[in-house]
Amino acid sequence: MPKGMFVDTTICIGCKACQVACKQWNVLPGEPADFRTDPVEKIPVAVNFTGDSYDNTADLTGTNWRRVRFIEQFPENRAGGRWLISSDSCKHCNDAGCLNACPTGALVRTDLGNVALRQDVCIGCKYCLPSCPYGVVAFSHETGTARKCTLCDERIHNGLGTACAKACPTGSIAFGEVAELKKKADARLAKLKSLGRGKANIYGYKEAGGLNVFYLFDDRPSVYGQPESPEVPQRRLPMTSAVTIAGAVAVGVAALVAFRERGQSDRGGEEVEK
Amino acid sequence: MSPAAHAPGWEWFYIGLYFFFAGVSAGAYFIGSLAEFFGGGRHRGISRTAFYIAFPTLLLTPPLLVGDLGQPLRFWHLLFHARSGFPYINLSSPMSVGSWALVLYGAMAFLSFLDNLVVEGKIEFAPFAKAYSLVPRKVYAAVGSVAGFFIAGYTGVLLNVTSRPLWALTDPLVGALFVVSAGSTGAAAIYLVMKWRQIHPAPELEEFERFDRIVKVIEIALVVAIVVAAGKYAGVLFRGTYAVMFWVGAVLLGTLVPLASNLYAHRRGHHLRSEPAAGLMAYLVLLGGLLLRISLLQAGQL
Repeated sequence: MPKGMFVDTTICIGCKACQVACKQWNVLPGEPADFRTDPVEKIPVAVNFTGDSYDNTADLTGTNWRRVRFIEQFPENRAGGRWLISSDSCKHCNDAGCLNACPTGALVRTDLGNVALRQDVCIGCKYCLPSCPYGVVAFSHETGTARKCTLCDERIHNGLGTACAKACPTGSIAFGEVAELKKKADARLAKLKSLGRGKANIYGYKEAGGLNVFYLFDDRPSVYGQPESPEVPQRRLPMTSAVTIAGAVAVGVAALVAFRERGQSDRGGEEVEK
Repeated sequence: MSPAAHAPGWEWFYIGLYFFFAGVSAGAYFIGSLAEFFGGGRHRGISRTAFYIAFPTLLLTPPLLVGDLGQPLRFWHLLFHARSGFPYINLSSPMSVGSWALVLYGAMAFLSFLDNLVVEGKIEFAPFAKAYSLVPRKVYAAVGSVAGFFIAGYTGVLLNVTSRPLWALTDPLVGALFVVSAGSTGAAAIYLVMKWRQIHPAPELEEFERFDRIVKVIEIALVVAIVVAAGKYAGVLFRGTYAVMFWVGAVLLGTLVPLASNLYAHRRGHHLRSEPAAGLMAYLVLLGGLLLRISLLQAGQL
């Protein structure tokens, strides 16, 4: 039975305990600063550090496998506004672009349905990076390999839940059997709808063959920085291959036309000379 | 397509150059093979030259591929699974299938290269010459040209089958464009090497001109289709260094100028351009093929 997580963003308080627990369990160092010279101030600035948001990770990286997104929607005069908070990580898609793209078998799906990345097998070819529609997998210059959330592979195979779910103080991140979690999510969605929150929706039932880590959002997925219709890129592979083969046939025909007919006319020329 | 998808960070001086050299090698090889098959012996000059180009050019590529890896010493994991040691292939991954195709193509290119050396008397080790001739050269030319087409095209398919906006939106055209470009850069390389080896019977060069006219027209059509398909993400092809590479390098110098010069000579009734002009055009085609790959690779990562 696949295991996964249900992330109820409506009860997330943005404490980042999940980020910390993830770093501790997975022994992930702090994000290396990427210093660039600021064009205005002419001083070095770590461009990958935010400083303008409570979101302190800005992206999922080789060292940040969990990111608490803060969607800070406030008008200039600070009258009204709202704060959307969502803890984001790998979704462990049932049709995973990264897994389809991996040329070495470093990315594997385990018996519990999670997509793990074997660090001793990965060669650092980086093909999984553009193949993930969510921008989850990232390259680590420290290890020379791709890295991402493994759904705490070693914990869940030893009867524990994920570190982030364990640390979550509000139950926003719930770990368990996907089927059970879906019941919980449906009940919660019905409750929100009955309270008049019409935009509430569950993200991850259909996307990429179904996500083992799915979300309850209070607004459209794009507001939370998630693609509205994520596409598993390899589903396009048959068409791309067919068109490329057609291109190859075109070049082949061009070569035959060019190298053959001319030859015949040459022979014709020879006959005339005789 | 998803703007959130991470850029892989492939370096132009590794992966861009790899795309180019693999394209030239494979393009030359399949033109050589077609000449071998359908030329009825009249095109030995072309096919021999092609096979002399294909293998040495291909030899440049493994260091480029391995160099871009985060863990270069683990390159063999592409072919054999690191834990079981068994051969490994992932059919949904162009990179995995491409690695095996590269091995197959490399073997065929090597055999054809060897065949050339034996036939031209550059290797005179008799037992060896006997052993190799047991397999007719057409067999490996056939297998090699199919593998060569694959090598020329899979690099584009590999870019198309991702979620990066530019590459995903231009799906399924980049694979075809790279195949066509491999054809024209391969032909240009053959032409230049033939000139260097001082084999240039006029009818063969005329045929090159003809081939070039056809593939350049296809190439322009594909470039137009790609820019249209990229839609709002085509912007990355109109700004900055890669825009100059793409429009001035790949499109203008690499495609339009050679095509115009070719058509001009053709319409004036000269079947051939003057030798310096044709040579210059061949260099431009090669330069254009290189910049085409670098610009599409890098613009897709912006």
